[in-house]
Amino acid sequence: MLTRRSMLGSAFAMTAAGLYAPRVWAASGDTLRFASAAGGPRKTDPNQTTQGSDNWAVIQMFEYLVMPPDGKFGVKPEDFAPWLAESWTTSDDAKTWVFTLRKGVQFHKGYGEMTADDVVRSFLRARDEGVSTSTYSNLANVTASGAYEVTMQLSNPDPMFLGSTVATRNAMIVSKKAEAELGEKFATDPIGTGPYQIDTFDPDKGMFLSRHDGYWGEPAIIPKVECLYIADTTARTLALLAGDVDMIEGVRQPGWVPQMQQQKSDLIFDITAPGSFNTLFFNLSKDPLQNIQIRKAIMHGINKQEIVDALQPMARMSYTLNPPNYPTGFALEDLPEDLRYEYDPDEAKKMLADAGMPNGFKIPVNTSQREDYKTQHLIIQEQLRQIGIELDLTIMDHSAYHAANRENLNTLNINSSSLPPVPLYVFNQYAPSSANMTPDGKGGANYSHYGVEMPGVDDLLGQMLQTTTYDDYVAKGREVELQIQRDLPMAGLPTIGYLVVRNPRVDIGFPLEGGYAYWRFCKAKFVA
Amino acid sequence: MAKYLFLRLLDAIPTVFLVLTLVFVAMRILPGDPALAVLGANADGGQLEAFREKMGLNDPLWLQYLNFLWDAVRLDFGNSLMNDQPISRMIANNLPHTIYLTLLSVLLGLSMGIPLGVIAARNRNRPPDSALRIYSLMGYAIPDFYLAAILLVVFSLNLGWFPINGEGEGFWDGLHHLILPALTLALLKSAFLGRLTRTSLLEVLGRDYIRTARAKGAQEGRVVFHHGLRNAMLPLSTGIGISILATLSGSVAVELVFNRPGIGRLLIDAITERDYPVIQAGVMMFAFFVILVNLAMDVVYLIVDPRIRIKS
Repeated sequence: MLTRRSMLGSAFAMTAAGLYAPRVWAASGDTLRFASAAGGPRKTDPNQTTQGSDNWAVIQMFEYLVMPPDGKFGVKPEDFAPWLAESWTTSDDAKTWVFTLRKGVQFHKGYGEMTADDVVRSFLRARDEGVSTSTYSNLANVTASGAYEVTMQLSNPDPMFLGSTVATRNAMIVSKKAEAELGEKFATDPIGTGPYQIDTFDPDKGMFLSRHDGYWGEPAIIPKVECLYIADTTARTLALLAGDVDMIEGVRQPGWVPQMQQQKSDLIFDITAPGSFNTLFFNLSKDPLQNIQIRKAIMHGINKQEIVDALQPMARMSYTLNPPNYPTGFALEDLPEDLRYEYDPDEAKKMLADAGMPNGFKIPVNTSQREDYKTQHLIIQEQLRQIGIELDLTIMDHSAYHAANRENLNTLNINSSSLPPVPLYVFNQYAPSSANMTPDGKGGANYSHYGVEMPGVDDLLGQMLQTTTYDDYVAKGREVELQIQRDLPMAGLPTIGYLVVRNPRVDIGFPLEGGYAYWRFCKAKFVA
Repeated sequence: MAKYLFLRLLDAIPTVFLVLTLVFVAMRILPGDPALAVLGANADGGQLEAFREKMGLNDPLWLQYLNFLWDAVRLDFGNSLMNDQPISRMIANNLPHTIYLTLLSVLLGLSMGIPLGVIAARNRNRPPDSALRIYSLMGYAIPDFYLAAILLVVFSLNLGWFPINGEGEGFWDGLHHLILPALTLALLKSAFLGRLTRTSLLEVLGRDYIRTARAKGAQEGRVVFHHGLRNAMLPLSTGIGISILATLSGSVAVELVFNRPGIGRLLIDAITERDYPVIQAGVMMFAFFVILVNLAMDVVYLIVDPRIRIKS
């Protein structure tokens, strides 16, 4: 019922744009309003947020020690600029990192100056108490080696430490004093150092922020930001068209962007690349997916370009687990020919015949009702039908879909996730035997059982973990990438960029190319 | 009458108990994992397990059930799994908006539907009757969220008469925000109530006492409104009761399209995210309202129909 409703709703949003008679954009001049596609905020402590939409407020209020470039990810260590840390040094073994903090950085609401104690507390709580503690498990020790100096000792070398750990959300710097004073209230009234501070947390409407007057850097241009929540597509679209909000989270489904562009040509569409990784997992515990010829046949039967075309302008081609613009990702021409798995239905049929299944086979597959998942699965279903493979597709609600995946109830599942260009992070999510998914739901996100049902990349990952320079790290990562491509327990599908539609009067102040699905508003200004 | 109402209230206790049990069982049968919904698909096993432990989801089912019943008896709904907010506060923030929407839409629906039904009955098989039939068919056929969106585009986006979304602040602003969502539901309700009024009234207008009234020279207006409509009220009051309950539980689409807070929207979000305590509390509220409205309808029957009064 909801699926049909959301489909009709989206269709209506398009029609609504058509019926719309243009009016003057009418939002207020001192407040930037952003509406995300969720029911309401959950928490806004960076170490507690579990809902992507909440990060739109978090990124305005909190800061990292080092900063990736605006509008993109930091890919290499040199991409990160000094921020709350003025400088840093690392030992030759990439296991000891010393950060010298910027002096005079003030916390919101009079909570005083940031010192090494605040930074130590921020990292330790990320490691020990947050919702993503495993990301920080390499942090052996974090100590204040001076009032404005912090030393971090790692268990294993990490030449990509700035990207893998330092510039990550859970380790954003918070006020130790405020956290202790506010207790549980800190989750909805947190204190950071960023250019905006929270005024109101309304669990039904959103988060209301105002400029932090004691900000150490360039003050935010627009005095107020409202991070609103409008779950319904029609309501969100109309709110943008009416000028009630300045930016909305777009709808990542075929045809939505062209329709909107056609009806209202001056709208601006911000799209991140890669945005969401989409990975196709072959469940190696299910027949007949243990047979690599079958897996190769499936890959040759999938025309990724069709998926990219259907999901324009968000989708980008990806040939390996990591996309081409990530350090270990491969462009098509860089891959050995036998590992490209280009669309070739004849080759797919030949491989099926070689595997003893010349007439193909039928296999049950679950998919989520969420548009991006469903669209890809439906396209793949149609493509594989051409080579004789029938996907018996069951469309489930999103929560049920992921629960079923975690209980080994799927065969060819797609997982979509926004992952940073930190190769080990990506590999550790999906590939090692330690992340093996188990039917009791207590395992990890290695939905293929790679390294369990067949030899995997555990050894290579172990070697990668011991590299001490970025170049070695990437080189070893590319070996892992190729091994995964060779074994084919999982495969990269086209990536789908995160989509935000913007009122043309808002200039966000920097070109947007990539990065996480949220960006800072402190440089934004109204231009008309 | 007090004894009658008291007995009806006692009747409701097993109903509430059954509803609570069904909700508890249904939530546990439904595929989906609150831990995954909260922490995301990439959460590792340890994090998921820690969350389940913290929220009591690893307890044996019978223990969870007993805890749930005990909390329900004490009206202690606990906190949301998603945002840790007290559920009583979430309901208190959302419920009034659903009640306002229900009351205004039923009021508007009645004020449109009953006159339409009377006009149609008085003009049986003539153009006004056909017009009502077409109107009713459209009312049954158009989904509420679609009508809501059309009204939004016409009256809010293009004409600018009403706000696009939200619930407003203060009485007048709140009313301004409430009119279009209530009108959406009222238009659909009036189709149902108009048809119901027409049918009931036609049945009554064919009765002997109506013929007698006419034969005695009573004016047509008195015949229709005093003798006819009054006696048609019994089935109509049942229809109104159903309409109120349908709005309480079925206003979610309108709440979503108008981006208004409300208990329906709260419940849909909770179901999507497998927020068990919120679902349980929300359904309990609905069960409570069903009982309350049914009770109110019983009182209306007692007032409208003297035969029931005598029997009770």
